[in-house]
Parts: sequence; structure tokens; C-alpha cells
Amino acid sequence: MLLLIMNRLRLDKRGISNVIVAMLTLVLVVIIVSNVILTSYQMNQFDWERMQENVEIVNVASTVDGTTFTLQNKGSVTVHLVSLWVDNTTIHQRYDMDLYINAGDSVNYTLSNIGSVDNASIVKVVTDRGTISVLNSSWQNS
Amino acid sequence: MQRLFKIFRDKRGISAVLSSLLLTVVAVAAMAIATSATYVITTNLRETMSERVIVEDVWFNNYTNSIDIYIRNVGEVTVYILAVYVNHTSQPFPSPFTLEIGEHQWLNISQNWVPNSSYYIDVLTTRGTHVAAYYESP
Repeated sequence: MLLLIMNRLRLDKRGISNVIVAMLTLVLVVIIVSNVILTSYQMNQFDWERMQENVEIVNVASTVDGTTFTLQNKGSVTVHLVSLWVDNTTIHQRYDMDLYINAGDSVNYTLSNIGSVDNASIVKVVTDRGTISVLNSSWQNS
Repeated sequence: MQRLFKIFRDKRGISAVLSSLLLTVVAVAAMAIATSATYVITTNLRETMSERVIVEDVWFNNYTNSIDIYIRNVGEVTVYILAVYVNHTSQPFPSPFTLEIGEHQWLNISQNWVPNSSYYIDVLTTRGTHVAAYYESP
């Protein structure tokens, strides 16, 4: 009996195009939805990591080697610093950086080719995720 | 040879073949259009969601009497700057201004500014992302 029904179904070709159309449409919908969900997930991850970033410029000190910036990562993710800015009334100077700081770590970063950094300067660092940390005029030049 | 010639001259059943062929062409074309549309829609959505731009620095430049904005692309797609507004007024800028992934550069706005004033600077991309904030001139 079952064999008879199966045989009949196999020979019956009616409505097969509808099934094919539905399958193809389903495939397209799945591709669209999965693509959007995947990208959304990736960017949510990026934004979440960016929110966890917390870099603090602890101190700026003039030494014989140049100017040393003490940077501390107070966040819960590793940060990649890409820019260092020293802004004053006459010039806004940007320096390239390529420094990774692990969560909780503190690093001294020395720049030798830097001009005078006075107390009125605004110092800031930028991460590759786009977080900006600023230190302005309250730091001690030791 | 004669048999082949006979087959070519025989017109019976040709409309069925033609209709099947036409239906196949229509189906393939429809699927091609649907696939292209899918690709375009997902690409646009993905690019819009992946766009991230930051303003690293704004310099009220005394020497050039301009407002210089340092922009960085931290997203995962190329960014095209469409417009820059200072206090809700569109400003001319060197166009086209494009930033590849990870790229960063100055965007100079020729705008007369006065000291000790607040300026609302809004950078708009072609995909509709706004990067806007208030900045105080020195």
C-alpha cells in the first residue's frame, strides 16, 4: 500500500514548479537574512569592544630621551593606539603610534622627535576602534 | 543525410520545444534578476551597518583662518564624505573626499570663525552616517 502511494507520488509531476520556486525564494531569503544578521553581529561586537575601551593618560614627563607619556589601559580589552595628538594654541600636531596595551597594563611611551609640551597643551590618544582619551592642562610636568 | 534533412524539415512539435525554451529563458532571467537584487540589497545593508567614522581632532586654524577636521575611517568599508555642516550650514570642501579602510586625513573647511564661540560641526557620509559634535574655538 505504502509502496503504491510512493510510486504514485513519484510519477505525479503536478505542482512541482511551485515547489521549486518556493525553494529558490527560500534560499534567497536565507542568504539575505544570514548576511544581514552576520554583519550586524560583527558590528555589535565591534561597538561592544569599543565601549569597553578605557585608556588613561596618567602623566606626561620631559626626559633626556624626549617626552614620555605614561598610558594605562583601565578597560577590559586590549587596545591598539594609533594616534597621539599634542594640541596647543599654535599647532595641532599628530604623531603616528603603533602600541598595544593589554587590559590593566601601564606603558611608558617615549617620543624623541617631539617639541615642547607645556602645561597648556592638550594631549590625546586615539585607538583603532575610535576611542579618544584626552589629558588636558592638569598634568604635572615632572 | 536524407534522414537528417527530413528531421530538419519536419515542423511537428516545434511549438512545444520553443515554448519550453522560452520558459527556461524567462525563468533563468527572473532568477538572475532576483539574485542581482539580493546582492545589491545585502551589499547596501552590510555597507551601511559597517560604516564607522570618527573626528580625531578639530583645529580652528589661525594661520589659514579655516576649520580643519581630522577624520579617521575605523569601519570596514570605504567612506565617502558627502557634506560638512558648520552650525547647520553646508560648507564647501575639497570634493570628492574618500577615506579607505583605516585611512585618516585632514578635511579643510574655509570658514571664518570667531574666538570663544561654540560651533556645531556635522560630517555626513553618502550612506547617511552623521558624525556631529560641538567644538569650542580658542
